[in-house]
Amino acid sequence: MKKKVLLMGKSGSGKTSMRSIIFANYIARDTRRLGATIDVEHSHVRFLGNLVLNLWDCGGQDTFMENYFTSQRDNIFRNVEVLIYVFDVESRELEKDMHYYQSCLEAILQNSPDAKIFCLVHKMDLVQEDQRDLIFKEREEDLRRLSRPLECACFRTSIWDETLYKAWSSIVYQLIPNVQQLEMNLRNFAQIIEADEVLLFERATFLVISHYQCREQRDVHRFEKISNIIKQFKLSCSKLAASFQSMEVRNSNFAAFIDIFTSNTYVMVVMSDPSIPSAATLINIRNARKHFEKLERVDGPKHSLLMR
Amino acid sequence: MNKRIHYYNRLSTPADKALIAPDHVVPAPGECYVYSPLGSAYKLQSYTEGNGKNTSLVTIFMIWNTMMGTSILSIPWGMKQAGFTTGMCVIILMGLLTLYCCYRVVKSRTMISSLDTATWEYPDVCRHYFGSFGQWSSLLFSLVSLIGAMIVYWVLMSNFLFNTGKFIFNFIHHINDTDTVLSTNNSNPVICPSAGSGGHPDNSSMIFNANETGIQQFETWWDKSKTVPFYLVGLLLPLLNFKSPSFFSKFNILGTVSVLYLIFLVTFKAVHLGFHLEFHWFIPTEFFVPEIRFQFPQLTGVLTLAFFIHNCIITLLKNNKNQENNVRDLCIAYILVTLTYLYIGVLVFASFPSPPLSKDCIEQNFLDNFPSSDTLSFIARIFLLFQMMTVYPLLGYLARVQLLGHIFGDIYPSIFHVLILNLIIVGAGVIMACFYPNIGGIIRYSGAACGLAFVFIYPSLIYIISLHQEDRLTWPKLIFHVFIIILGLANLIVQFFM
Repeated sequence: MKKKVLLMGKSGSGKTSMRSIIFANYIARDTRRLGATIDVEHSHVRFLGNLVLNLWDCGGQDTFMENYFTSQRDNIFRNVEVLIYVFDVESRELEKDMHYYQSCLEAILQNSPDAKIFCLVHKMDLVQEDQRDLIFKEREEDLRRLSRPLECACFRTSIWDETLYKAWSSIVYQLIPNVQQLEMNLRNFAQIIEADEVLLFERATFLVISHYQCREQRDVHRFEKISNIIKQFKLSCSKLAASFQSMEVRNSNFAAFIDIFTSNTYVMVVMSDPSIPSAATLINIRNARKHFEKLERVDGPKHSLLMR
Repeated sequence: MNKRIHYYNRLSTPADKALIAPDHVVPAPGECYVYSPLGSAYKLQSYTEGNGKNTSLVTIFMIWNTMMGTSILSIPWGMKQAGFTTGMCVIILMGLLTLYCCYRVVKSRTMISSLDTATWEYPDVCRHYFGSFGQWSSLLFSLVSLIGAMIVYWVLMSNFLFNTGKFIFNFIHHINDTDTVLSTNNSNPVICPSAGSGGHPDNSSMIFNANETGIQQFETWWDKSKTVPFYLVGLLLPLLNFKSPSFFSKFNILGTVSVLYLIFLVTFKAVHLGFHLEFHWFIPTEFFVPEIRFQFPQLTGVLTLAFFIHNCIITLLKNNKNQENNVRDLCIAYILVTLTYLYIGVLVFASFPSPPLSKDCIEQNFLDNFPSSDTLSFIARIFLLFQMMTVYPLLGYLARVQLLGHIFGDIYPSIFHVLILNLIIVGAGVIMACFYPNIGGIIRYSGAACGLAFVFIYPSLIYIISLHQEDRLTWPKLIFHVFIIILGLANLIVQFFM
């Protein structure tokens, strides 16, 4: 039974855009629907192993409550690994939003009590810059309070700055069970091959899972930029019915290698010594790959996130 | 943000509005000011989509409007310095030369193929080719032109304010101003202020009914070079300290009105005074100047600033709807400007009543040749005074933005920095107004200096370099453009010998 990631939120809160951006899907259709249909979108994206992303619209109409929360509730909320709930910061119906959120939480508590809960306060670019922290803190407190006894982690996001990418990266980071061990191994790997920086990306979304850098880098937003560039490239590849596998970028100052690593990750190795031949680095990556795959398999069946 | 927008564009169809960047996340197009140092200055609506919406007519008018300004006042004097025929030829030739250099400026941006130059203005092109030296030198020359223009403005404003005050005082007290300066004796008096003092226009006119203590007091308190410049300080220094002068750019229409009124005034006076022309080729006579004089570089110095628009021509042409007509529109605008200058220069020179007065009397500001009691020129002075008072803070803002922005990185570091800068600029203006109020001199020095960089050297040098990079440099082109550079240098050097 595939475990689910539920992406829920009110109609128009930005879920479809978010999903398109993170997973590099073309937007299926206009997100502003004319009718009162309530939709679920299954996307068979292999996210962090064997997770399937389900996108649900909550609320806006009372039929939602009747139809889904009563009759199909168990179906929806069973086997949920992660619940990501999206709040539109500009929503005028705070009470209703919280009400729906609480209903979802109740259902989660009943059906998948171990699920991790994340709340995204979205569209923060519409709030004035000097008020953003304040408003987010208020919402966070409310949500924390409402979510008891469950724990929820809150993020403020907007698709027009780096907060969306960071929030999803944090979510992915928290979903990986042995991430500290992974980071230590990554550091060893990087130091052995004398790399400037080594990044580990999640395969479907190119969200950075962990990274090691041996010195301060100038651009703090480089992860999102790399992710966007590669996702754009993947979109171009898919137009030609080709798929992206690996890339080497080289100039007189550096050499960067992006390659498949384990079954769920990509690795990016940045070498600032361009005299090291590519073949050497590629061999290193290949050898490391075996080691990291073993690491994944070591985890027991309970932590099934990175396993096949 | 750039990468983000590119990526989001790939995700959605053009019809879908969901992932189009809303206005509040896209950085606003900065305030874009278009100015010519002695012309107008105003805020330009910059279009982010790339294509402007101005028709050719509007573009031509905007170029003409920006270039036209206070340099008109010195053209007749320049023609007098060069001689009538030489003056006309020099005006036409300088127009052609500056037009060609302007064309080079416009083309220079398109010759950079490797980078996205859509938002570049000419100083950015200079920086691309010459590195930080290019940036600093273009900043320096731009400041020379701006501060020179502001000094000229101060002198002129003192002049106009003085004359306006005198007119109003005389009008209220019904004084018939019988100047001892040389003047014609008809209904359209023309005076020769510098006849008695040989060179410098004398700034105080002697009135013989000196027994009137009221007038004497007025004379002491209202003196063109001793007191009026200081009164202006109280008026204009506060205006200079504003953070954003967009309020002043609304008065741009005053510039056009002033120029049109000057044209009307000159035509009217010419009709009433008639033509007085005699052609002596090399030898000056008592009333006339020779047709060819060796002081013609003074005219070229003035014209360099009169035809100056090279610092913002790219921006002006960017807003043209049909970009392929850019060169044609530029040429038409320059032709119109040349014709306007020729018209004013020729008419003022030709109609200057030479039998009683010598042509040598034409002042560096030709309005000085009309007495302060003349109504028409009084109106002209009022217009120009108001227009200059609204352009002065804009020029100050531009000088401040360029200087403080490059030195401190912040265009408004603190009120003290801004105040000190403004005091320096205003102080320079006051000193010049008190001791050296020769606007012709100031214009030609600052014009030749600023024009050296922007008009002569940079366009030609950049063209040579870009051709060389593309291996298309031929000997004729090289020689021609080096010749232009030499002309520019000569223009500057020779100003100091005249």
